Amino acid sequence: MIGLDRVTVTLGGRAVLHDVTFHPRVGEMIALCGPNGAGKTTLLRALAGLLPKTTPADPRRVAYLPQNAGSAWALTVGQIAALGRIPHGDTADAPVTLALRQCGIEALRAHRVDRISGGEARRAMLARAFATEPDVLLLDEPTADLDPAAAHAILALLKRTAEQGKTVVVVLHAIDLALRYADRIVVMRQGRVEADLPADRALPALAQAFGLPFGVDPSPRLLPPA
Amino acid sequence: MNRGLALVSVLLFALSLMVGDSVFGSAPLSIMVDIRLPRSALAWLVGAGLGLSGAVLQGALRNRLADPGLLGVSGMAGLGSVIVFYWGWSQAFAPALPIGGLVGAGLGVAFLLVFAGRAPSGSALILAGVAVSALSASAMALALTLAPNPFALAEITFWLLGGLEDRSLTHLALAAPPMLCGMAILLRLGTGLDALSLGEDAAASLGVRVDSVLRLAAIGTALTVGAGAAVAGGIGFVGLIVPHVLRPFVGERPGGLLVASLFVGGCLLTLADMLVRVVPLLLPVAQTPPLGVITALLGAPILILLARKAAP
Amino acid sequence: MRLLVALLALILTAIGGPARAADRVVSLNLCTDQMLVLLAPERIAALSTLARDPTLSFVAEQAERFPTVRASAEAVLRLRPDLVLGTRFGARTTLALLERQGVEVVRTDLPQDFPAIRDWIRLLAERLRQVERGEALIAAMDAELVGSVGQATHPPNAVAMQPRGYTSGPGSLMDAVLRAAELANASGGRRMSAETLLRHPPDILVLPVAPAHPSLATAMLRTPAFAAIPTRYYRPAWTICAGPFTGRAVEALRR
Repeated sequence: MIGLDRVTVTLGGRAVLHDVTFHPRVGEMIALCGPNGAGKTTLLRALAGLLPKTTPADPRRVAYLPQNAGSAWALTVGQIAALGRIPHGDTADAPVTLALRQCGIEALRAHRVDRISGGEARRAMLARAFATEPDVLLLDEPTADLDPAAAHAILALLKRTAEQGKTVVVVLHAIDLALRYADRIVVMRQGRVEADLPADRALPALAQAFGLPFGVDPSPRLLPPA
Repeated sequence: MNRGLALVSVLLFALSLMVGDSVFGSAPLSIMVDIRLPRSALAWLVGAGLGLSGAVLQGALRNRLADPGLLGVSGMAGLGSVIVFYWGWSQAFAPALPIGGLVGAGLGVAFLLVFAGRAPSGSALILAGVAVSALSASAMALALTLAPNPFALAEITFWLLGGLEDRSLTHLALAAPPMLCGMAILLRLGTGLDALSLGEDAAASLGVRVDSVLRLAAIGTALTVGAGAAVAGGIGFVGLIVPHVLRPFVGERPGGLLVASLFVGGCLLTLADMLVRVVPLLLPVAQTPPLGVITALLGAPILILLARKAAP
Repeated sequence: MRLLVALLALILTAIGGPARAADRVVSLNLCTDQMLVLLAPERIAALSTLARDPTLSFVAEQAERFPTVRASAEAVLRLRPDLVLGTRFGARTTLALLERQGVEVVRTDLPQDFPAIRDWIRLLAERLRQVERGEALIAAMDAELVGSVGQATHPPNAVAMQPRGYTSGPGSLMDAVLRAAELANASGGRRMSAETLLRHPPDILVLPVAPAHPSLATAMLRTPAFAAIPTRYYRPAWTICAGPFTGRAVEALRR
């Protein structure tokens, strides 16, 4: 299983991770939250073993989706998803088809990613991660720039995946989505883990990290799709 | 698709053997073997190498403007060959010629990957390429000026625009082994380049060793382009044209373009060289146009098209 | 300030070169270079840079002893020549400028056959006041030509191939050399590809020996397939410029 024990990462003379210990558990969906520059992305990359001097994670077991994931070339949705089989060195079709179905884009398989919507393209990237059939999914802002319905749909999918016995670590800026979908929220600030709490008790720590007041807001709000 | 392209390659190669530079049709065996075979084989090999390395460079740099000629790799190869050839090193030791070419090409492509490999914005890459091209062209002119042979400078057209006139079996024997090695290296990079289309981080997380893919792309390009330019001069635009023409038919996946680019590059340059040879047979002209002129006439409009599309 | 001006003037005079000596001759063309070395070496002010190239110049070794000058009016004037040798077509602007500066310029036509070579040697010998040396050079050349009358009934066909595949056509110096060597010139003076040459091989292929410094133009003459044709070689320095030494080319090709 992946995890970090008292890890300090220095980039350009500045400590971007400071004495961080973090162990995700199987079947858990964890949200990494915190203001910009808190070290969330670095923590995720450290987990994936992508930083210098870290041991790369087993690519067959750990799938990593970087921030603003996109493709330099106008591949088809099916081709993108099939890239998830590279760690296994095979071209098995069943896991790719399953991943596309899980992400709800089976019908778009032959479409080019530059000719579908941003949400659909993001799902194609997610399908690539699913096609690897990993035990651990590390996702950096998978819902950025998406409309609320698409964001809810993706997080619901990740939640179901975690419930099926996978581990999901997701960097999220949207606090409300984190509170709603995550089992555990890790609050980060200035390269340190400030709090590591079950989601239902994380709000005060989050508010403090972001420097925001919190309280009961009686105004009407959107609910996730049923 | 690839099988069809291989068949077309064979047919074109056979047709190319039937076109002499003074007469159509077959010829005595010695002419076929000693004169036409090396020329036709080099045309196909050099074109195939340029097409393939264009496809690989575009994949590695994630930029559809990448081309060994445009980015100065061919120019650096020419510079290396010029130094080795005119100072007599290749007279003393024949393989020095392709070695000079591939050392020059290696320096050019290494600079590009170091400079642009991590920041593949179109304009930064093209600026770096323009810089390397200009540097190599002026260094080449300087080397030819300083060369002990007083007429060397007159031969700069060959090194800048390329050509296959009077190439012999010796040239083929010198250039083919490094070119074939380079092609073998480049053809194995498909999966790595596919993964790289998601970015370096994502590719690394898929278990692809990005550094080693980039290094092999540089070595393979240096071998194919370097040895090719050492015997055929600086033929431009093939690496730009070929993947561009192929994408609508075989898709944009970089790995899927490699074999097709190899064959189409070979066919394109075989056709261009046949055109060069038949011009004096069909038109009342004394001189044949340099080979690179034909490819530039085809490639420059495509470059303008791509640049317009890339502009914001 | 005045001191500075004086110093500057002094330096400029120093750069201006040695004091004017009598009868200083500058040659700006490889062909006149060689005649100047052969006829009046003691009066050479400068030769062209090509005179030292062993591939091109018959007198390359002797030329090492003399200064060289580029075909630039300013550089030539600094040498204070009394006479400048050139050709009718080379360095035209430079020669015209020199004339306007009051320097005597001799422009000659380069000879293309042996009678013309004799006339040319006599003309230059007269201008350089070395008539006897001129006659001696002509006599030496004629000695090498003895035995060739150019009247053989069935002379073998020959193609003289030059760098880049050009051939020596009728009227050229090489054509005169071939005829003097009792060979029939089978080429028309046009460019000939390797394939054309092999398709219609002559009895004898005439090639220059490999130059000291390689070029693509001369490398093509070493096309391996040419080995199938009997080949005779000459030194390019004998024929690039006509001169008394051109007789050696005849001797080499005659056999």
